[in-house]
Amino acid sequence: MRVLTAIIAIAVGVLVLLGYFFPALPYVQDIQALLLNWAMLMIAAAAIVGVLNLVFVHADKIRRREKGNLYSAILIIFLFGTFLLGLILPPGHEIMRLILNGVIFPVEAALMGILTITLLYAAVRLLRRRADFTTIVFLVTAALVLFGSATLPFGENIPVFSGLATWIREVLAAGGARGILIGVSLGTLLTGLRVLFGIDRPYGGN
Amino acid sequence: MTLPFDVNTLDLFSGLAGLIFTLMIFSYVIGDNFLFRIALYIFTGVSAGYIASVAWWQVLRPNLVAPLISGSALDKALLVFPLAGILMILMKVLPRLSGISRFAMAFIVGAGAAVTIAGALRGTLIPQVEGTLNSIPRMNTPADLAQNFNMLVNGVAILLGTALTLIYFHFGARTQQDGSVRRMGVIEILAWLGRFFIGVTLGVVFAGVYSAALTALIERISSMINLFGNIP
Repeated sequence: MRVLTAIIAIAVGVLVLLGYFFPALPYVQDIQALLLNWAMLMIAAAAIVGVLNLVFVHADKIRRREKGNLYSAILIIFLFGTFLLGLILPPGHEIMRLILNGVIFPVEAALMGILTITLLYAAVRLLRRRADFTTIVFLVTAALVLFGSATLPFGENIPVFSGLATWIREVLAAGGARGILIGVSLGTLLTGLRVLFGIDRPYGGN
Repeated sequence: MTLPFDVNTLDLFSGLAGLIFTLMIFSYVIGDNFLFRIALYIFTGVSAGYIASVAWWQVLRPNLVAPLISGSALDKALLVFPLAGILMILMKVLPRLSGISRFAMAFIVGAGAAVTIAGALRGTLIPQVEGTLNSIPRMNTPADLAQNFNMLVNGVAILLGTALTLIYFHFGARTQQDGSVRRMGVIEILAWLGRFFIGVTLGVVFAGVYSAALTALIERISSMINLFGNIP
């Protein structure tokens, strides 16, 4: 079983990669499209299994009468309600749009809004707990960029801060961000190659 | 399926629901409480149900069910493989048979790894290295230097920032005579300089996230004010 799963992962990975790097080879892109379509179908099924797992975890909480089981009951009721409605009605239907605009978007935006307070609190706590070189650079930069992007009552930017913030964003931060992005992509590349060489087997069977 | 309401009434309903949920979430400012938790659990349930329904309408129905019903013989034959994979994944729900799902998971991981490698190389690594190298302008004469001096300084700063940030993440170290494990002296100094660029970058990211959060807060407050203005 171990060997077979590794063979499947490596074979699929190599065939999909061939489609990206040798598109001129005959049938390679068709095979890649077919494999990616199959993978997409399986990922959709895996998403539904993930939702089912959420239901099982909360149903178990209700069955064991654990603390907070009322919340779990609410979650399951709303999950099934939305899912059943979603099976009957397409995502563009008015009722589905009502769910999206009345529940999902407002909660997401309100949670994002709450971040203004929690982030400010976190910044103050950071300065209190670890006032070292990096922390000071981090907070001073954040303050300068925020002041630089703020507008005065008559719609103008604050003169000195605006230019400084632009320079920080486009030069200093661009350099750092490029270093971080290159590092992240090297790490991602290595992780992908480890899977393709069968060194890492996150699907089980190590 | 038609509704017994017009569009304005539906907008009013979604606005009222949005107002209630916004107030429930904002109640977190006074501390973790019953209303905040109810809003969060409803949000989680509705989002999970919505995601599952989108997976059905946009992936499974058009790419699996429709070809199985009305596709050609070849289409139907080719769908045997993903159908078997989906059945294997569904076995994950049953603890005794969950091992079978490994084959389908291996398929997904293999395809995902290939997409990730191609994406990291073509979408990030190559464009970022190219961007870094091109940040320094080409100069052939002293006049070019005078003309593009600012661009040169900025380009060198970007190049330095990129290199020093990468050096910060170099963790190759040697055991010293006193038994401690440290990086080479030069690397240690360059890494310390790299911390400056990382601090600046994270500061800019923090400011960006804070601005976005502030915009979301203003949008919520203005939507509440607008709702009260629209109620007849």
